[in-house]
Amino acid sequence: MVGLSFDNYQRNQYLAAKGVGVPKATSTGTTIVGCKFNGGVIIAADTRATAGPIVADKNCEKLHRLSPTIWCAGAGTAADTEMVTQLISSNLELHSMSANRSPRVVTALTMLKQHLYKYQGHIGAYLIVAGIDPTGAHLFSIHAHGSTDVGFYQSLGSGSLAAMAVLESNWRDGLTKEEAIKLCSDAIEAGIWNDLGSGSNVDVCVMEIGKDAQLYRNYLTPNTRAQKSKSYKFPRGSTAILKEDIYKLVDVEEEVVNLDTMQVDA
Amino acid sequence: MSASSFAEGKATIASEYSSEVRREPIEHQFNPYSDNGGTILGIAGKDFAVLAGDTRHTTGYSINSRYEPKVFDAGDGFLISANGFSADGNALVKRFQNQLKWYHFNHGKKMGIRSGARFIQHLLYGKRFFPYYVHTIIAGLDEEGKGAVFSFDPIGSYEREQCRAGGSAASLIMPFLDNQVNFKNQLDPESNGTKKKELRYLSLEEVLKLVKDSFSSATERHILVGDGLEIMIVTKEGVRTEYYPLKKD
Amino acid sequence: MFLTRSEYDRGVSTFSPEGRLFQVEYSSEAIKLGSTAIGIATSEGVVLGVEKKVTSSLLESSSIEKIVEIDTHIGCAMSGLTPDARSMIDHARVSSLNHNLYYDEKIGVESLTQSVCDLALRFGEGASGEKRLMSRPFGVALLIAGIDEENGPQLYHAEPSGTFYRYDAKAIGSGSEGAQSELQNEYHSSLTLKEAELLILKVLKQVMEEKLDSNNAQLASVTKEHGFRIYKDEETAKIIEQLAENEADEPES
Repeated sequence: MVGLSFDNYQRNQYLAAKGVGVPKATSTGTTIVGCKFNGGVIIAADTRATAGPIVADKNCEKLHRLSPTIWCAGAGTAADTEMVTQLISSNLELHSMSANRSPRVVTALTMLKQHLYKYQGHIGAYLIVAGIDPTGAHLFSIHAHGSTDVGFYQSLGSGSLAAMAVLESNWRDGLTKEEAIKLCSDAIEAGIWNDLGSGSNVDVCVMEIGKDAQLYRNYLTPNTRAQKSKSYKFPRGSTAILKEDIYKLVDVEEEVVNLDTMQVDA
Repeated sequence: MSASSFAEGKATIASEYSSEVRREPIEHQFNPYSDNGGTILGIAGKDFAVLAGDTRHTTGYSINSRYEPKVFDAGDGFLISANGFSADGNALVKRFQNQLKWYHFNHGKKMGIRSGARFIQHLLYGKRFFPYYVHTIIAGLDEEGKGAVFSFDPIGSYEREQCRAGGSAASLIMPFLDNQVNFKNQLDPESNGTKKKELRYLSLEEVLKLVKDSFSSATERHILVGDGLEIMIVTKEGVRTEYYPLKKD
Repeated sequence: MFLTRSEYDRGVSTFSPEGRLFQVEYSSEAIKLGSTAIGIATSEGVVLGVEKKVTSSLLESSSIEKIVEIDTHIGCAMSGLTPDARSMIDHARVSSLNHNLYYDEKIGVESLTQSVCDLALRFGEGASGEKRLMSRPFGVALLIAGIDEENGPQLYHAEPSGTFYRYDAKAIGSGSEGAQSELQNEYHSSLTLKEAELLILKVLKQVMEEKLDSNNAQLASVTKEHGFRIYKDEETAKIIEQLAENEADEPES
């Protein structure tokens, strides 16, 4: 069948009348991307955290470690990405110990999506999961409701459109590591400049087959603060001293120790 | 469909494209306002006044322009800026400039800053029940040649002040100005905590430093502020404009 | 008369073939029937003086109102069909008050005069659809005296035709011809306010049929210090006395 399907229109209308409204998509400010290359996969993120229009953190970390070779970039509700990542990281390690195998990316993916689906979207975590396991390099994305996607390149967050514009125009098969890093950091920069929810620096994590994952914290810092034109140091006495009490909390005893006479065990 | 038919329990068919049936009236909302972000700042000095604004123009999380000036030289030594919903802001400024021309035709003289302020009150209050969604600040020199800043709420309440910040980051900048312009919460270090730091006029150089630091700091912590800073300075010599880049992230 | 003026003086807005509006011209004639009013502008302020025709010994002269306040800084004297001035003065007061409301400043004297004159042509429809307010032109002329920040003390003469001119000294009304030529002779730019008061009374005295006294003459002035002020009868009487003394000192040549 060609075109849009309205099969569920009447059902949804009925549900809406019953008070089951259409779920609304929310996205808090962030740009995260991931991209595969010849011999591995990398993910990258900006470092701005916002609370409404206010910048809450100018240099936060959105790249989380699930296992030494599996990393994950998080967008959405900061607390949710943080907690869900720690929980799955913990369970992933328990799983790998009980199975006596190094963890697989699909395992992390499955655990994450099952957890998120269980909470029906109320856990606002939007993740790009990437890593190396015995089966190779992998790249996935997960939405808060539990749906997942596979691809050679991914982008998520309020800056995903700006980032995807860069990925769509510059990605090609068989990128080298250096080319992939450049592509991902360019994509994040597109988010930093063009999406108000994203800003500050670029973090990159490179996962190469046969090597330890490498986190490049603040790989790019294109937004360093210029010097202020004036010093705002207040002269001593600008604030009144209303009361002064000095408490003697400890007694200090001094003793001179002669090092020559000390016996030291060999 | 009349209202009474709902009361009678008759059904409404929403459109000819579906067999959707509702038992309540369909509500439509006209939403004529939007927020284009940005921030403005006016400071009056002894014989000068400045009015500054960032040049970023936004809707939601998108930047529409990195250089869209919102501080204007209206003529007669008036600086004016109406920050908030830019369509309303521009309409207000244009209306003021137009009426200023008429004032020249009708009265053949320069309009004073007080008269301008009072007139803007009437432009704003004229739309009391469909207000211009803006925080307006004007700056200029008064009849004695002293710097003057007047600020307005969206429906015309106004006041002459030494300094005022408006727009998105007003709440970030205003406390800084209270402390650095009016020396609030600062004591005279010599007085041993008994005397407030005495008020004095700031020089133009000092004021420009405060303006630049206000905006670069607001850019750091407010996502709707950035890209560029345009400062307009009015002295008895006339109006001058300065531009400084701000961070673009 | 009917032959020469023909039918072209019927409609208020009908031009004669020579390009004249007779009704407007007739309105100027009505002013010549009015009592004399004089104004003099000096560097210290503007003085207005009017003759009050007390037609009966039973008439309370204080009820004759020919000088009125428009605002604290503007006043005016009238001559002609004084009831017509009512609507002009109402309009002037509203204009002045509105200007103060909208601009937080006193209206300029010229602007005020212009706004009164805008009303003078409202016996016809306006160009932008304004309603016709009156059936005929005004039959009254005003001497508008005031002071403002930009131009200092000023005197304007507003005619029923809607034209107005600024004068150093101007007389209107029945005695205006004689009075104006006398003002022409006596006016000079260094006149003081006191001298202007005396000059007005002197000229009024010359053109009035009755003997000048504080009952049949009234003075007012606009100064920077006191704004617009109508003189009390005793004050006017004193100036009349002064005038008499001056004349006794130097008998007319």
